[in-house]
Amino acid sequence: MEKGLTVRKIVIAGVLGAIAILLGVTRLGYIPVPTAAGNATIMHIPAVIGGIMEGWGVGMIIGLIFGVSSFLNATVPLFKDPLVAILPRLFIGVTAYFTYVGLKRTNEYLAIGLAGFVGALTNTILVLGMAVIRGYMAFGVALTTAVFNGLPEAIVSVIVTLAVVTAWKKLGSGKQKSKVSGGL
Amino acid sequence: MSAEFELSRNITIGQYLPTGSVIHRLDPRFKLASFAILILAIAICGTYVGNLFALAVCIAMFSVSRIPLHYGLSGIKPAIPFIIILALLQLLFYGEIAEGGTVYFEWGFIKISSESIRLVLVSAMRFVEVIFLSSVLTLSTSTTELTHGMERLLGPLEKIRFPVHAFSLIITIAIRFVPTFAMEMEKMMKAQASRGAEFGTGEWWRIVRRTKDMLPIIIPLFNVALSRAEDLILAMETRCYTPGSARTRYTHYKAKGRDYLALAISIALAAAVLAIPW
Repeated sequence: MEKGLTVRKIVIAGVLGAIAILLGVTRLGYIPVPTAAGNATIMHIPAVIGGIMEGWGVGMIIGLIFGVSSFLNATVPLFKDPLVAILPRLFIGVTAYFTYVGLKRTNEYLAIGLAGFVGALTNTILVLGMAVIRGYMAFGVALTTAVFNGLPEAIVSVIVTLAVVTAWKKLGSGKQKSKVSGGL
Repeated sequence: MSAEFELSRNITIGQYLPTGSVIHRLDPRFKLASFAILILAIAICGTYVGNLFALAVCIAMFSVSRIPLHYGLSGIKPAIPFIIILALLQLLFYGEIAEGGTVYFEWGFIKISSESIRLVLVSAMRFVEVIFLSSVLTLSTSTTELTHGMERLLGPLEKIRFPVHAFSLIITIAIRFVPTFAMEMEKMMKAQASRGAEFGTGEWWRIVRRTKDMLPIIIPLFNVALSRAEDLILAMETRCYTPGSARTRYTHYKAKGRDYLALAISIALAAAVLAIPW
């Protein structure tokens, strides 16, 4: 965030945050998977997309909104702990952003896809790691959860991120109405 | 089946129950701070009696705020199967890690000790307490009050150049757009269904299929959201909204005696929850 928050960043963060909340309250963001955590989630995707589009600051704010809403909506004790529900989510958009920026020069599509993958992995690893540290899960349980939840999450995350961001970037110049804080 | 499309009706975010109790009339800044302190204390507390005490405090909070207890219970009901499954898993597999305590039962890798039982009971109680507390907070405070209160509370962070106003604007935008997007999503689901797409009809174990069903909704949803964002950006910039410039406020809060009293009470309660040694 070299220039601080522009109107564009504020609005995009707000709107993607709204999607994160919506996916949570309608439970559409959950994919039922038979593991200890109960559900795989796609709610981290707004944070990933925000991070790619507007930088790590926006990604972090969307992650915060996602974390707080999952904390408030939680149906399992695990996510009623702010240290598990909120703190790890801050980093989803940040790692996604740095993955994207690091690989952008090599290949734009690869960068977007991998950013989606890394963002999802950040969520899985940090949340489960925190769950182990805070004593909600044994290490073995966490590991199987990571495989059975984390992998589908990461795959869905790659597909959606790639579809949304490339569609947006291709159409970007035409769709981006404001010229004041533009520059995708 | 048709119920699956009624998204906007089921959204209870920002549900507010105006009973005009003392808790409703508290200054939102003090209310938020008090609840944050209590939730923090609950998150740290790992003792039986401490948690029982916290539970009693939470239930008392409902009667003080004149909110029927079933509002809080309705948040717990859908969670009961999850709580039970998780408790069982913790009970069976946690014994290995929980150091100390008396071992009651051991068979292979399954080990049940007093420590693992404590963990299961405490995290279940903690869950109920946090649901109760957050229900009281959201039911007794409107979303406007919440965001105003948060903005003021974070005010000191301006000093380290944290964009507090922008931040609370983001939250306001997010909350504002949730119902709008719910409507959009409903429209898209109906549009897809009328063309023969099937939602929620796949069996629950067919994970891949169910996930695939989601994609034609999620991706357009993001696109709709982003184009709405463009409209809002344009609208704000034509009205010369400048982030970070000095602004005047429409509402002003003035702390009264009861606000300080509420804060003092919650600090005392939090200290009591943490100080109970068993």
